[in-house]
Amino acid sequence: MTEPQPIPGVGLSEPERRRHTHPLTPVVNSIRSVGILIGAVIVFGLGGIREAALAGGLAGVLAALSGVIVILGLTLGLSYLSWTRTEYFFDSSGDFRLDSGILQRSERRVTLSRLQSVDVVRPLLGRIVGLAQVRIEVAGGGDSRVVLSYLSEKDAQELRAEIIARAAGVGPGAGEAPEVVLATVPTGDLIVSLLLRSETFLLLAVSVLIVASIVLTEGAGGLFVLFLTGGLPLLGVFSQFMRYFGFTVAESPDGLRLRHGLASVQSQTVPPGRVQAIEISEPLLWRRRGWVRVSLTVAGLQSGQEEGQMGQVLLPVAPRDVAWRIINRVLPGVDPSAFQFEPAPPRARKRAWLQWGNLGVAHDDRVFVASRGFLTRYVAVIPHARTQSVGVTQGPWERALGLASVRVDTTPGPVSVVGLYRDAGQARAIAEAQLLRAASARASGPADRWMVPRVPPAAPPGAGAASPPVAPVEPIAPTPPAPDPEPPGAQPPVAP
Amino acid sequence: MAEPLSVDDAFAPPGEPWHPVSPKLATARRLTLMLVTVPVLLVLGSTAFVAQARPVALALVAVTLVFTVWMWWLIGRRVRSFGYAERADDLLVTSGIMFRRLVVVPYGRMQLVDITAGPIDRSLGVTTVQLHTAAASTNATIPGLPPAEASGLRDRLAALGEQRSAGL
Repeated sequence: MTEPQPIPGVGLSEPERRRHTHPLTPVVNSIRSVGILIGAVIVFGLGGIREAALAGGLAGVLAALSGVIVILGLTLGLSYLSWTRTEYFFDSSGDFRLDSGILQRSERRVTLSRLQSVDVVRPLLGRIVGLAQVRIEVAGGGDSRVVLSYLSEKDAQELRAEIIARAAGVGPGAGEAPEVVLATVPTGDLIVSLLLRSETFLLLAVSVLIVASIVLTEGAGGLFVLFLTGGLPLLGVFSQFMRYFGFTVAESPDGLRLRHGLASVQSQTVPPGRVQAIEISEPLLWRRRGWVRVSLTVAGLQSGQEEGQMGQVLLPVAPRDVAWRIINRVLPGVDPSAFQFEPAPPRARKRAWLQWGNLGVAHDDRVFVASRGFLTRYVAVIPHARTQSVGVTQGPWERALGLASVRVDTTPGPVSVVGLYRDAGQARAIAEAQLLRAASARASGPADRWMVPRVPPAAPPGAGAASPPVAPVEPIAPTPPAPDPEPPGAQPPVAP
Repeated sequence: MAEPLSVDDAFAPPGEPWHPVSPKLATARRLTLMLVTVPVLLVLGSTAFVAQARPVALALVAVTLVFTVWMWWLIGRRVRSFGYAERADDLLVTSGIMFRRLVVVPYGRMQLVDITAGPIDRSLGVTTVQLHTAAASTNATIPGLPPAEASGLRDRLAALGEQRSAGL
């Protein structure tokens, strides 16, 4: 890539001009590190501090807290030192570089041609002082994520725009990619849905049972336990509420953008090419309202990071038609309402009498689908091209009944695609057939290129709630298994 | 949706029979078993000299002996249940007696092929080959392969994987 040309609207920085993060960064980092310590001191040491104040006045308090003050000072000093040694810039070949480290220098380079997404994240501590982080994800999974902490909000947005502009190269589509909001989750719906989730109900039921038994046996002392056990499910509801507040799904040329959060606002870009599998869950108590939750497995996104399970929920709760529309954006041409499930054989009832009604597999020319679940129905969808490997398992009980389970492996994430308790011979046939479908899908599928300058979607997506899902899939005769593979070219055309 | 055809045996090998693993794997695992149970037996046996504890100790010794014999037999069966087969486009691995498993890994999906051997395995001349895909749930592990066979398999897999590698 030669000398980058100025792009109208986005000021490119001079090449190799090194920049520092915001000066308040060491303060925020120190608070994050020792915040727990300070909290502990306040909670546990208040009595001792009071005594010291009574005995020796201010000097006494300072003496008592001397340990904490020293630690605080050291942390601040180290953070400041680290801050002076942290620099970011664009190097001579146009890639983004982040150098950091006091004793052990680390140079991280982001090759912009492999850029997957750039997001501005506002963690709670940073938000209080008006700072944000820039999170850069690179294709490749594992630890290929660079987080730049902290910049002022304005700088963060500008840096993001600049990175995107450079990654897209010279030309149109540079700068902040325009966004079209597809769906938002109303707060009222979110609260009700979280309260109605099966987990919440079960936990509450268990709590009530425990409390009732304690009260009956020991009297009023059991009420204390009520606060403990009754609090747990409500705590779960509360934390999920904080995480998914104001959930918004928007479409932009670089993929779907998810934004949510009350205290810390998270934003995540999901490039369609990276979605490995989706899962639609319908808890029992949501069915009357027609709500579903959609989760994603996305390659290269880590779960359990500091922000929790980022990027793994596509929609925490939504009416079915909204969910199907969003799913269409992620898996074009897939219409979940058109899945024709083949149920498990009747004798599988003996193995799983509670789940039997929800067990089934389906497939069309794009995806393989498996459903399971007892109180909550889980429908897992995996595009054929994303199939990693397939497996067949059979425990002793299944063998006695002539059953086996088929599993389609996908990258780590919340979605697991398992066709439980099929007829054993059929399970093997399904596995083999899926392999064939996967092979032909990989051979004919599009190359995984993203962050290539793209024309925005032709049909305006914001065309109101009445827009039908794209390309409803017709029920298609299944690909016959091994002996007689259907040639890939003979697939029926999909309606435009 | 029409029913897919069924096969007679869900765990039948494709075409020719499953390639077995070396019986030395059974020897290696039995050796490990002995390394664990013999000290336990010795300890229990020595406590049997104490008069008060004798009945309990002897009972425990009996239980341990029965367990050892049973595991000895079970190890043999489990090792015989391992098998693999190389097809044109993928590799199949099967294992298990009570909980039977079969996994099929397309060559284009293989990311890594590991060959490992602990000290006991090495001394007896067996290695473990493990295939990795992008999925954590792919469980394609073939223990008990002689080193020559293992590296031959790995080279073939690497070459085929390279040829057909698909993106993520």
